[in-house]
Amino acid sequence: MIVFTLGLTWTLAVLLSLLDGRKHPVGGIALGGLAAGFAGLLVLGWEVFTNGPVTMVAGGWPPGVGITLRADALGVTFAVLSVGVILIALAYEAVSGIESRTFPALAMFMAAGLTGLFLTGDAFNFYVFFEIAMIAAYALTGYGERARQLRAAFIFAVVNLLGSVLFLIGVGALYHLTGTLDMRMIAERVAAAQPNAALLTAVAIFVAFSLKLGLFPFHYWLPAVYTGVRPSVAAMLSGALANIGSYGLLRFGGELLPQELEMGATALFVLGTTSIIYGALQAVSRRTMTEVLAYSAIGQVGYILIALGIGGPVGFAAAVVYAIINSLNKLLLFLAAGLRGWMVGAAFAVGAFSVAGVPPAAGFLGKLVLFQASLAVESVALVALIFIGGALSFVYSFQIYQRVFWKPQARAYKISPSTARLLVAGVAGLLLFAGAWPEPLLALGQRAAAAVLLGGAP
Amino acid sequence: MRPRLAAPVGAVFAALAFAATLWGWLLAGGGTVDLPWAPSWDLRFTLALDGLAALYSLLATGIGFAVTVYASRYLPLHLEHQGRSEADIPRFHFFILMFMGSMVGLVMAQDLILIFVFWDLTAIASYYLIGYDAHERDSRRSALMALLVTGITAVCLLIGALMLYAAYGTFSLPALIEASEPGALLAAAGALIAVAGLAKSAQVPFQFWLPRAMAAPTPVSAYLHSAAMVAAGVFLLGRFYPLIQKTDWLLDALLVVGLGSMAVGGILALTRNVLKQLLAYSTISQYGYVVFMFGLGGEYGAVGASFYVIAHALAKAALFLTAGAVTEATHGETRLSHLGGLRRELPFLMVASGFSAAGLAALPLTIGFFKDELFFEAALERGGVFPALAVAGAVLTFAYTWRFWSGIFLGERRSEAHGVPAAMTVPVAALGALVIAGGLYVAPFARLAQAAGEVTFNAPTPIDPAYHLDARAENLMALATYALGVLVILSRSFWIGAAEAFARLGELAGPERLYFASLKGLNAFSDRIHDLEVRDLRTRVATILGPTGVLVGAGLLFTPTRGAYEVGAIGPLDWPLFLALILVAVAAIATVFPRRHLTLALVLSSVGYILAVVFAFFGGPDVAMVQVLVETIMALLFIGILVLLPRKVLEREASNPIPRRRKVRDAGVALIAGFFAFAVSWSTLSQPALEESVAQEHIRLAPEAHAKDVVTAILADFRGLDTLGEITVVGIALLGIATLLSRGRLW
Repeated sequence: MIVFTLGLTWTLAVLLSLLDGRKHPVGGIALGGLAAGFAGLLVLGWEVFTNGPVTMVAGGWPPGVGITLRADALGVTFAVLSVGVILIALAYEAVSGIESRTFPALAMFMAAGLTGLFLTGDAFNFYVFFEIAMIAAYALTGYGERARQLRAAFIFAVVNLLGSVLFLIGVGALYHLTGTLDMRMIAERVAAAQPNAALLTAVAIFVAFSLKLGLFPFHYWLPAVYTGVRPSVAAMLSGALANIGSYGLLRFGGELLPQELEMGATALFVLGTTSIIYGALQAVSRRTMTEVLAYSAIGQVGYILIALGIGGPVGFAAAVVYAIINSLNKLLLFLAAGLRGWMVGAAFAVGAFSVAGVPPAAGFLGKLVLFQASLAVESVALVALIFIGGALSFVYSFQIYQRVFWKPQARAYKISPSTARLLVAGVAGLLLFAGAWPEPLLALGQRAAAAVLLGGAP
Repeated sequence: MRPRLAAPVGAVFAALAFAATLWGWLLAGGGTVDLPWAPSWDLRFTLALDGLAALYSLLATGIGFAVTVYASRYLPLHLEHQGRSEADIPRFHFFILMFMGSMVGLVMAQDLILIFVFWDLTAIASYYLIGYDAHERDSRRSALMALLVTGITAVCLLIGALMLYAAYGTFSLPALIEASEPGALLAAAGALIAVAGLAKSAQVPFQFWLPRAMAAPTPVSAYLHSAAMVAAGVFLLGRFYPLIQKTDWLLDALLVVGLGSMAVGGILALTRNVLKQLLAYSTISQYGYVVFMFGLGGEYGAVGASFYVIAHALAKAALFLTAGAVTEATHGETRLSHLGGLRRELPFLMVASGFSAAGLAALPLTIGFFKDELFFEAALERGGVFPALAVAGAVLTFAYTWRFWSGIFLGERRSEAHGVPAAMTVPVAALGALVIAGGLYVAPFARLAQAAGEVTFNAPTPIDPAYHLDARAENLMALATYALGVLVILSRSFWIGAAEAFARLGELAGPERLYFASLKGLNAFSDRIHDLEVRDLRTRVATILGPTGVLVGAGLLFTPTRGAYEVGAIGPLDWPLFLALILVAVAAIATVFPRRHLTLALVLSSVGYILAVVFAFFGGPDVAMVQVLVETIMALLFIGILVLLPRKVLEREASNPIPRRRKVRDAGVALIAGFFAFAVSWSTLSQPALEESVAQEHIRLAPEAHAKDVVTAILADFRGLDTLGEITVVGIALLGIATLLSRGRLW
């Protein structure tokens, strides 16, 4: 199944780059192909959750010599999430009319890259897939090809290439310290390495992923990019691509470098706290929806960092649940930001309630797991922080919601195509469903956390 | 579908729900639904129709029914006055029904998280109903305020629930009541839950949102913001009372809050001019009594609180509906100062609302008499100053209720009025009839209150309110209330100045002022820090390199560095390599200085070429070859681009003076970043290469891959997937370039 999904999206991406994506059938092919890949991931997920991790080595070499591909609960969860987000964003663009030849191909490349990086068990191979996803993202950022988008793409590419270099340094250092690129072997051997070298390596990797996440103070690229790009691209960047950051921190921090993660817990709390407060404070008075969402994104990833700092089964489960919810929230809100109409208003409201942590929108589960994790370490300060962060998110979510959807608008707006609105309403429905029946999400978080802690052993 | 159909649909639903609750409680004897909800978190979907649930469900569905009937006529008129289309009607009834459903769910829920979910659902419905007239700024502000106050405090409920779960390992309320022990944790959790309840019931200091919520259409005010949703707050106190009462200071805190709300609500109700404002403050004060009774504790407190909620809900809902009908009849008049003498135009309404007013004022032969009887008994049981305070509170109620009712119907006529549709007076009359029925035959209401009180008190509460024609203390207190009430009414000119001064003080230094100030301050602060955001690319890069260096520095401080940094021995064979490395370093530093782009490109590539020499010395001729190739291509590319760029732009950029501040900053950031890279590399490379490296395996297995050399084997076989991936990366880059240059055409 790993080969099927990866191969399918990858091959299709290559084929699509030869076709004109603006034509209707091409968009259809892309959608159908991606949907098939998504279905493949679901099947793979089913296998992983019933029979344990699926492992294979490229070329049939012994593990470590060849590249190990491994699907465990954590990886497959993020893969399903990210490809699902891209699928919806692509569908959104397809029904509104794709404007560029290369859009479907690039989206498909991004999906292939993300699938690969979530399902690989090899540190350098992770970097390669990371590059595929990133370079596709740089090109996608420019979608629309106006000055705004090109400026966003330029900033995005320059800053994130810097992050890629940092990550590459980290992988190189890990290889030198452990003599292997296989993640599980790294995890076994790194404990024996000199602590200073291991910690500095961990810092480089941490910064690289924080940059992806847009964590304070590595966030300065983010608002310019998220406000500059098209809604569907913003949804892909924040709903799918940013998952690299949370996944990377869980995989490399929680699984490969757990001692270093523990040593850095204080730094994680400090940065997470700053991010939460800073992002939320910035978001409060922003005038446009995308600006609010961009700064909200900075705040939201702070929570993931806090959960990582808490660590253990409860902390990692909280991080996974929060990452999933955050990604769906952003998908919904960015897509809704590009549309108008009452159904969109209702969908946006669901997203706003979700960000503020109000049930039945799934966001309250994120708050739930975070509070629980903070109480598990008996930290009143963390509980207070999450409370304050939540209170601020109430303020910014609903100030902007009312400004856009309640206040009489000076200019009459055009109601957007009904298929796009239905799509957004569907995502909102998904968030409501996930909140009303929380079992899958919570169980998923626990299984994924177990995969981090046990290194995926069944 | 006709929008007007929404009202009958809503009314039928409400009536059915009411009937079902009545049937479930009286005939089926309660009942429980218990389903697994989220097993991995021990969440259960548990609903139970106990006495407390029955009381609040009957109120929510019964008054909901009356209000829906009323709204079937009120709402079309309301929309017509505002020039809005009838398409907005279904939305109203949707949220009314959503509220009703979540309220019924809330009162039956036995799982803490389930309670929280329903709790917030009621807040959402309230938010949309307050903001129903969203085109008005006042509505929007009021809706936001209600949402922020009740929504944020609801998080306290969640935290309290999770604290209890952390301590006792269950979310089930009955199990918690069994297991919990008095202590700091229970007190903290109880306090947090009480905060959520008090905010919802608009108790001091959260009271300010309720008068603002009167921006909602009148049926909403009657239903949510008086009889049902605000009652959810005291319901929560009642539901968690077995936990709360284990902490004495919490009960004392409830006493203080209850008294404060009684006083603030009562005094302000005496000064308000707008009908619904008067009623809103009255609601604050009325729930103050309930909270006060919870604080008093004991079985009278528990049953009394429940009974008080019934009596108040019936009377107050009717008075709100009266206010709406009067405003409708007088073409939008909402001020007491412009109303009066409507006894001729609205005789039926006068009598119907008179019953409810009498009920609120606790006159005999109304259900209200018993609410005060229990209230006084609870105060007497506690003793001390409390009976006096109770009478004082009841006097305020008596006075403002008179003010409301007499201000509309008695005195001289000050405005034009016409009749109102029957659908708007019949619900008032029905509620008034219930108020009187309760005064004549109190047993069913008392039984309901007793059943609820038993759940709250977690023990049997054999209490029977009844008329006693003797000089017992409760009766004397009631008589004192009437006498003092009349005195307060008659002496209005003496105290009105003081009461208004009190109201103004609240406006100047009250919590509402604080709310607006913090919201404004927050927005202003947000604007100010937004000005500090970085906007140019150079700084964006700097803000990544700088903090990274700092983090690495912190890492250095916190780990032992002994043996981490080795210089190693330099043998004679290493000298050429060493020399070449020094050259690389010099060239790298040199890249900082040139201003002309061409020079910069050449210096950059010289770094790469010397690096190729390093590789060659290091025994990697193939890597060196690749490096030379890459550098050559890069240098050509740079030169090609520079040729294509307009000369003027390049010259201008090269001659732009660089401010000193930026020079200093850039140098600092460069140093930090350099330090970072240096530390990471040195620390890592100080470690000897490991014996068991995969490199050995690669060398050993290369023949099996049918490759003549190891590099080929690695690139084409062992790590062929990486190679394929990197080729793809180049391909995507090409695709991106094609998108920019030729609209994505690759050929």
